[in-house]
Amino acid sequence: MTTSEAGRMETALADTADLRVWDMPVRAMHWLLAIGIGVCWWSGVNNELEYHLWSGYAVLWIVLMRLYWGLVGSSTARFVNFVRGPKAILDYASTLHRRDTPHSYGHNALGAISIVLMLGLVLTVVGLGLFAVDVDGLYSGPLSSYVTFKQGRHLAHSHYYWFEILLWVIGLHLAAVLFYFIYKRQNLVVPMITGKRQGRHQGGHEEMTIAPLWRFVIGAVAATAIVYAVSIGFYF
Amino acid sequence: MSAFGFGRIAAAAFLVLGFAVVEVAAGPAEIAQIKPRQDKLRDMGGALKAINDEIKKGRIDWDNTVIPNAQTIKDRSAYLLNWFPKGSGPETGKKTYALPAIWQKNDDFQKLGKAAQAEAAKLNDIALKKDEAGLKAQALATGKACKACHDNYRSPDYEKENEDE
Repeated sequence: MTTSEAGRMETALADTADLRVWDMPVRAMHWLLAIGIGVCWWSGVNNELEYHLWSGYAVLWIVLMRLYWGLVGSSTARFVNFVRGPKAILDYASTLHRRDTPHSYGHNALGAISIVLMLGLVLTVVGLGLFAVDVDGLYSGPLSSYVTFKQGRHLAHSHYYWFEILLWVIGLHLAAVLFYFIYKRQNLVVPMITGKRQGRHQGGHEEMTIAPLWRFVIGAVAATAIVYAVSIGFYF
Repeated sequence: MSAFGFGRIAAAAFLVLGFAVVEVAAGPAEIAQIKPRQDKLRDMGGALKAINDEIKKGRIDWDNTVIPNAQTIKDRSAYLLNWFPKGSGPETGKKTYALPAIWQKNDDFQKLGKAAQAEAAKLNDIALKKDEAGLKAQALATGKACKACHDNYRSPDYEKENEDE
């Protein structure tokens, strides 16, 4: 932190400025995924499997889109820009107890682990669900015709087992957001809604480059086609 | 955060309640029902899955798949209500998903069982007629009849593994 008068002024002014952190697709996918997983959870434990199938397809679509956006999306959405190696993760973790650390631009090194973990787990749970068979042999996953009833029942149990693990990781994610809010006084929820936070640019970070919407649309069309093909079990 | 803790506690409370209400000694004849009924019900679930797989594939093999499986469901369903004598529930100490409610609300259970038998018989008729449009609707109706009972009288199994697998 600079001690000069001009520096302080600059900081004060910059602190009130809006800084773009998350683009619209990232925010939309985040909240839709949260809602989608909620609907899956509710419909799953209540055996409302017709709704469970539809919400499962929605979650699959969102995860596919998020992975795609992690490759071609806006700068803060891209995996190459936030997935860090062990050293950067340890360095970041060693500052976790300090309250004066600056806001990370985009995902921080530890948050990146949880993003990758959550996306991987959601994909695992959905993947198992595609092959899962319900006890009635009624609302089975769209790819369940490729496995036997017994195998499908096993996969249904694994589907639930991995979902439990996903819930714990989501719990950790929520705890982390709360920790940043209470301990570090950093509100991570508002930027995920508005896409902006107040602050100034730190060195080494360029302004977020926003990916064009048409790129999202192309991905959306492809993801829809994939989910549709899966939903009919590839029986064209 | 834990959804499982609550479910387990509720299930345990339900179980204790069940013991208190249904005081039937579990004899060897009742215990002997559990394993075969699980096997037969699993066969029925597998048979309906096989029929639904044919519908999904869009190339329905009537003679080798739909007709024999519909026959299995119909034949087994005829004996369905004999598989649940009083005392063959969790009070046996055996691993079973059968809930004490089966014997507490036995009239309703019997009604649902008979409805499932009726749907299974219709499914068999449609299979023999090789009526494709009818099959889709009736496979759904039959599955829903199975599910109606499972929703109320079978312990949710998403946190348990099947015993013999």
